[in-house]
Amino acid sequence: MNLLIAAIAGAIITTPALLVFVLGGGSVDDALFAALATLMLTSALLVVTMRDIIRCGLAMIVAFLALAGIYVIVGAPLVAAAQVIVYIGAISVLILFAIMLTESKAAPSRLVFQTQAIPAAVASIILAVLITLGISATDWGAAAVRFRLGTEALAQVLFRDYVLPFEVVSVLLLAAVVGGVFIAKREPEDPS
Amino acid sequence: MGLANSLDAYLVLSGALFAIGTFGFLARRNAISMLMSIELMLNAVNLAIVAFGSFVPALKADGSIIALMVMAVAAAEATVGLAIIIAIYRNRKTPLVDEYDHMRR
Repeated sequence: MNLLIAAIAGAIITTPALLVFVLGGGSVDDALFAALATLMLTSALLVVTMRDIIRCGLAMIVAFLALAGIYVIVGAPLVAAAQVIVYIGAISVLILFAIMLTESKAAPSRLVFQTQAIPAAVASIILAVLITLGISATDWGAAAVRFRLGTEALAQVLFRDYVLPFEVVSVLLLAAVVGGVFIAKREPEDPS
Repeated sequence: MGLANSLDAYLVLSGALFAIGTFGFLARRNAISMLMSIELMLNAVNLAIVAFGSFVPALKADGSIIALMVMAVAAAEATVGLAIIIAIYRNRKTPLVDEYDHMRR
């Protein structure tokens, strides 16, 4: 049974890649892009539709991992590394911990979706169509090839032009950590 | 074909991911599911920023740096958001947002 599910999942992910590679005459990069995009969209759909919320969290990790692969293809390896460290290493673990803290066996979630789920689906499909139309109608003035940026060049710009935002972000993170601890802290029992 | 070499492919992918996140945010009942959908939407925007950064010559390094900043802000948002959800859960004993209706009664 599990083997069957794994085979179906593998077929879903590799079929677009093979189509691009063999029929479309694309390069290896194109095939990788198609496979990773399919994997990312499939697991993102699983995140928003699955019933068991722990599995939603695990599917979210798969989506983040596929997105890190896409960052490598687009030519931003440092962003891909940060994606793995920050999203998969920190945020996903935080969300999984929050799921374990808030989910109890005594109160299973009966319904996954709100009553407005169908209008929400229609609205998001319309949103996707509008975004696609807008993208294809606009001339972005983009180059036909992607360029790869080394870490050294990135660091030059980050620590010369973007020093102030960098420091502000560090202060923001400190404030968020202190605020998170303060909000989630249990109130001490009143002696009165 | 040139799928990996066209900016439009990345932007359409990011738009699709954003729409999936929007659906999850509007339709799910669990507060943590809504937060996960917000993370998906932030990732979609990040993908668009990185794609612009590596295809538009004038934005060469800026795209990656802005994406890194967005990641840091997303981490801060997740921290505070989950702390708020845990604080609400401690009072109301449920993570379902449609049962947070004290102010409507």
